[in-house]
Amino acid sequence: MDAGLDMRTTGTKSDDSILSILRLIVQGIVSIAKSHWVTLVNFWRPTVCERYPHKDKSLDYKPGPGYKGDFALITDKEKGRLRCIACQSCERACPNHCIRVVPAGKGKDRYPAEFYIDVGLCMNCEICVEVCPVDALTMTPDYECSVHDPRDLIRNIKQLTERGMEFDEVSRVR
Amino acid sequence: METRSDLRTEELLINMGPQHPSTHGVLRLVLTIDGERVVQAVPHIGYLHSSMEKIAEAKTYRQYMPFADRYDYLNAMGNELAYVRAVEKLCGIEVTPRCEYIRVIMAEMNRIASHLVYFGTLGLDTGSWSPFLYCFREREAIIQLFEDTSGQRLLYHYFRIGGLRNDLPSHFCDKLAEFLDYFPARINEYNDLLTNNIIFQRRMQGIGYLSPELCRRYSVTGPNIRGAGIPYDIRRVVGYSVYPELEFDIPTRPEGDAYARHLVRVEEMRQSVRILKQCLEKLPEGEINVKVPRRLKPVVGEVYERVESPRGELACYLISDGSEKPWRLHWRAPSFYNLQVLPELLKGAYVADTVAILGSIDIVLPDVDR
Repeated sequence: MDAGLDMRTTGTKSDDSILSILRLIVQGIVSIAKSHWVTLVNFWRPTVCERYPHKDKSLDYKPGPGYKGDFALITDKEKGRLRCIACQSCERACPNHCIRVVPAGKGKDRYPAEFYIDVGLCMNCEICVEVCPVDALTMTPDYECSVHDPRDLIRNIKQLTERGMEFDEVSRVR
Repeated sequence: METRSDLRTEELLINMGPQHPSTHGVLRLVLTIDGERVVQAVPHIGYLHSSMEKIAEAKTYRQYMPFADRYDYLNAMGNELAYVRAVEKLCGIEVTPRCEYIRVIMAEMNRIASHLVYFGTLGLDTGSWSPFLYCFREREAIIQLFEDTSGQRLLYHYFRIGGLRNDLPSHFCDKLAEFLDYFPARINEYNDLLTNNIIFQRRMQGIGYLSPELCRRYSVTGPNIRGAGIPYDIRRVVGYSVYPELEFDIPTRPEGDAYARHLVRVEEMRQSVRILKQCLEKLPEGEINVKVPRRLKPVVGEVYERVESPRGELACYLISDGSEKPWRLHWRAPSFYNLQVLPELLKGAYVADTVAILGSIDIVLPDVDR
């Protein structure tokens, strides 16, 4: 136990002469004045914090393309149908098993009758988007996903199609 | 005064944590104290255990990538680097030079971000609130760049086996160069605020003495061992990736106390800035991805790949049985090894210094428990 006491005294503790005590006081005042100077300088710097969610809506932050936010299914606007061919690659590739696709139709007309993504389970790894052979699924820059009921976190095909209307291609970093 | 002889003192057992604000997560310390001094400290870990190693056995090599981010969340890029290098070594994949440079840029940026969190939280531990806010402001600049590049702010999943998710966004290099220009001046500011502050110095000097002998016995790595005067850095010792082509110093301090470890970390941020500047200059043009088979089946074998994380030697041990999933994965997590030495450091220290010593060895609890 004395070892700890010794360590403390072997630091920069000076002897007890009046001169060294005075020197220490001056040192202390200078170092603390410097610290206060830094806070004073920073007082005049621009504020970086936002009062989320009570922020000014006109300053609404929008992440860039390629952000891994909420999901969307892209509609092929020429053919007027979803690009998705219900191959279920995403369902198999998902590490958390949070995607469920119910296919319908045969051959070229195969389409997803139901498409569920549990955003609560999702860890935004984007593996599903990468394995998609027809680039039908994308992640969007929408990041405000909070809901009151956890059941609302399960996205169905209607919500996914609606959000995908503004996307022609998979959202990627440029 | 006859009763004086009846008075007796006894050692007191107190619980610190798991819900203690200064244990950086959920660490429970059982302290036996004699007055103001710690006689014995026993850390109890496991509150954040999440089976990260067992999960790997149920996932394919690609599917495990996002999990690699998640245990040392302050150094997600560094963890990805360790894992991706292990898998590439196992499969015999060579990545392109541009990809290597971008990976190093990301790892070093994450090192700065991680040390900034350390700096801020150490300030909190020792009763200083402002550095925390300023450090997080500077960290925000790095996080914003990560967000623009990888699409996420904390758990990136940016590295891929054989390459990266995407190339750098067009504004990345300018923004990073701008950050590197003003950041060293900000480090000086933080030093004025905290490191050179006499109250902080008095608080940190001479506590938590870690001798080189103790480091070797407990296999302590990272800034902790460099704070004890041993220049042991995996970037230099192994020289992985493009680090042999870059010029940087390994900062060491001979004192071995909490203040020395703090100074080493501050100096490491400067060295990271130096590395990043060189990387931006040398960044080659070209492809970032190499072709990797869709179904990844490595040969039977095992690899052990080490990288330097902000907390020390981070290694990934992978055993493959020839199938799509790893047979066994083990993380050599630096925080776990560094935490082992805590009972030795706390012996004889004041109770009030406990949080300062714990803060100075810089652990991340999910990294300890995995």
